[in-house]
Amino acid sequence: MADPVLAEMVRAIGLKEAPHYAAIKPTIQDYRRRWVELAPYRDGPVGPQRTLVNDPAAMTAGIKTKAVELGANMVGICRLQPHMIDLGEDVPHESVIACCVAEDYEKVMQGADAVEEEAMRTYVRCTEIANELAAHIRAMGYPARAHHNGGSEVQGIPIFYQVGFGELGRHGSLINEKYGASFRPGFVTTDLPLVEDKPREFGVQDFCMNCNVCQLNCPGDAIPKEHVMTHGIKRWLIDLEKCYPYSRLRDEYCHLCVDVCPYNVKSHPETYKAFMKERKQVGYKTPKSW
Amino acid sequence: MEKLYVNEIRPNGEVSTVGLFYSRNEAETIVAQLRSIPEKSGCRYEIIEAVAGLASTNPPKQKE
Repeated sequence: MADPVLAEMVRAIGLKEAPHYAAIKPTIQDYRRRWVELAPYRDGPVGPQRTLVNDPAAMTAGIKTKAVELGANMVGICRLQPHMIDLGEDVPHESVIACCVAEDYEKVMQGADAVEEEAMRTYVRCTEIANELAAHIRAMGYPARAHHNGGSEVQGIPIFYQVGFGELGRHGSLINEKYGASFRPGFVTTDLPLVEDKPREFGVQDFCMNCNVCQLNCPGDAIPKEHVMTHGIKRWLIDLEKCYPYSRLRDEYCHLCVDVCPYNVKSHPETYKAFMKERKQVGYKTPKSW
Repeated sequence: MEKLYVNEIRPNGEVSTVGLFYSRNEAETIVAQLRSIPEKSGCRYEIIEAVAGLASTNPPKQKE
């Protein structure tokens, strides 16, 4: 078990595996198997004929179009910086391309199992897109490596912020103005000459200072009132010791902090209102299936 | 569980929280890894107990 906090908590209750992972349903096992199958194709030989890039802006537009054709809902690019790379890892590339696939928010009305299945389905799409995009770039004669659930050496949130997908929210996930935090990532690191996107701020951090909906709905009280600052950005550090009893030590998935976020209302106004009505009826901090 | 913040103190005095860690060993491992990064050679690190209400006092980043 890679997560030392979870490993300690599982050991403390006398188990060998977190109940959530021990009770995984066959459909979700199939999705997990799929990204494991795709892991060996994250990287590969670089094509012998290098495409000359006289116009990086045109190349960037072409790469973004390709990613969208492959199924990405959002694509952004930035220079790969040290704080975006996992400590102890070496990723010898200049740029990183972030691709996101939006989840179907309507699944919240079908309960925890449907939300989890949708998340895993989306992760598989991100894995496929990142692998295919990396292969496309390598065929042009430039090194490229995909990073996704099948294997990754990069950190998602600082990359998302830098490419302008959104801002960090109180619940610890990045918030986009269109998709809220209901999306999943795949990345490609590469030396292909590309034009960078820039961070975009649209008031999320100020909004989160006064909105406590995720905090009120967290069954474990794991979302803090106070924030810290990292690189000049507010971060609310989720207390994993309080989160895991609900998100890992039960059979069921818990994704409530993201699903109740008011930033979901723009893309799915009616569903969000109906979901929040249900949440109010059950008293917000619902430990079992919603 | 023990809860510890690791803070990075930059040459200009700015404090940036690296994260929340759940054992001193884990926090010290992270600090050792950060110290091995050449770009961070001018930074100092502190490991402090996480207590309710603790937050860095740096102002939010100014929009350019």
